[in-house]
Amino acid sequence: MTSEATVGTPGWTVEAPDIRVRGVRVHFGTSRHVLTGVDLDVASGEFIALIGASGCGKTTLLNVIAGLVPAAEGTVMIRDRPPAAGRSDICYILARDALLPWRTVLSNVAYGMELSGVGRAERERRARVYLERVGLRDVADFFPSRLSQGMRQRASLARAFAVERSLYLMDEPFSALDSQTKLLLHDQLLSLWESSHATVVFVTHDIGEAITLSDRVLVMSRRGAGVVEQIHVDLPRPRSAEALQADERYHDLYRLAWTALRASTA
Amino acid sequence: MTDMVRSEAGLGAAAGTNGSRSRSVLGARIVFLLAFLVAWQGAVALGLANPAFIATPVGVARSLLHLIVGGKLLPNLATTLLEILLSFVASVIFGVASAIVLDRSEWLNRTLSPFLTAFNSMPRIALGPLFILWFGIGIMSKAVLAFSLGYFIILLSTLGGLKNVDRDLLLMSRLFGASQARLFWHVRLPWALPGVFAGLRLSLIYCSAGAVIGEMIAAQSGLGLLVQSYSGRFDVAGVMALILVVAVMVMALTSLMDLCERRLLAWSKGSTDVPG
Ligand SMILES: Nc1ncnc2c1ncn2[C@@H]1O[C@H](COP(=O)(O)OP(=O)(O)OP(=O)(O)O)[C@@H](O)[C@H]1O
Ligand SMILES: [Mg+2]
Repeated sequence: MTSEATVGTPGWTVEAPDIRVRGVRVHFGTSRHVLTGVDLDVASGEFIALIGASGCGKTTLLNVIAGLVPAAEGTVMIRDRPPAAGRSDICYILARDALLPWRTVLSNVAYGMELSGVGRAERERRARVYLERVGLRDVADFFPSRLSQGMRQRASLARAFAVERSLYLMDEPFSALDSQTKLLLHDQLLSLWESSHATVVFVTHDIGEAITLSDRVLVMSRRGAGVVEQIHVDLPRPRSAEALQADERYHDLYRLAWTALRASTA
Repeated sequence: MTDMVRSEAGLGAAAGTNGSRSRSVLGARIVFLLAFLVAWQGAVALGLANPAFIATPVGVARSLLHLIVGGKLLPNLATTLLEILLSFVASVIFGVASAIVLDRSEWLNRTLSPFLTAFNSMPRIALGPLFILWFGIGIMSKAVLAFSLGYFIILLSTLGGLKNVDRDLLLMSRLFGASQARLFWHVRLPWALPGVFAGLRLSLIYCSAGAVIGEMIAAQSGLGLLVQSYSGRFDVAGVMALILVVAVMVMALTSLMDLCERRLLAWSKGSTDVPG
């Protein structure tokens, strides 16, 4: 814990990664490329955070990994299989909570399981467990229109983790929340993740969020050339978002990431 | 009904004010109706209006009683009601079905849309005599005329609802592994439902108008036939009594629909309320 934070070099690889992205190029239409040769490895059970300037292709990269956008060149392998939308081991959490307004909170949390073929009784039981874990037990029978933004986002998290998949892709799920609510949700996300042993790729604009949550922060270049910098977050787990605010190491890492992000956008 | 009561009670403190507000609205409505009837009757009594042209509330009530007691109302009402229900049910089935097909097939939608617009722009009422020629003087011709009005309303309102489905909801469902069939049942259809209900209400009104007007052109039985013969005799009170019957009938059918809507769309209730 006394060593300086490691700033790795691009092209860092892991043994038998969960996600392997090699030389991926993406373009929309015939004009310029949005991604120009991205390499990325994510180990099984790892939580990585992806930061970078707006428009640098973070969402596009997630979409490629999720199988929503095809790569023009390069390869993507997820557990030795190419990506495909609706794969039963991947869960993609969108920036918007996307709760069905005509279903109650409980039924929304059960919805993901319903689509994954979980039986009715088991759905109901698990939905209640996960609602409890994100502190929404009391509003289980409400329609989403009666929830605050933070509550809606928690319901969306509960829905995602209730399907118990092994890979989670998240695109700025907390960007619409105030910093206080964010801290609460960080703790809930960490607790959900720690018991799930899932691999997570988390896109964010918030450096503090990236460090609080992840094992590694990857900084993407502005020109879509992929990961230009990475910061190993050697903060011990389990972490508490609140306690980290007073942690020296956290602030060192924050400065490091900030500098890296500045350099990537220059 | 009980559902609504329960959900309103669920709002806690707001329930009390809601209850007293709806009671005061009911009171205001009764006052308004009475004032209207008194002004009408009074205008005639004071010689401000000619009863031969506008009749009187009392005269209308007398005509209505006469219709009922004379045994004329029920058989004619039954005919009209049958025509309305026939055309309405057909409008709903075919309207919703065609909207689903047109929503799924962009090609078909693009090909057919000028024809649909053209047919919908035609004054179908003016085609009434032709419908009589083609489908006979009985119930069928009126049902077809009413259907030609009601069908497009349901088609367009359902299609509108299906077309603007929230893309994120579809994407989220797709990412959880939903098939096309499940996307339809779990996302597209519920999303379109408020639009469908708006269409249902309007379509019912148009089907009723179509049926009555069809009967006025040529018929063997029906409220429109009575309207036609009463206006031929300049029996203003009789015509008004019949119009009243039609209005009450349509209102009754509409409130039946409101009941279904309140059950199915409880989630959207009050979602368009904006404070201030
Ligand atoms: N469907 C699309 N069609 C055309 N261009 C697109 C499309 N989606 C994204 N782009 C372009 O690709 C680039 C990267 O977009 P992307 O959404 O991946 O950025 P991002 O890093 O997620 O940005 P932000 O942080 O603002 O969400 C942008 O310049 C954008 O204009
Ligand atoms: Mg983005």
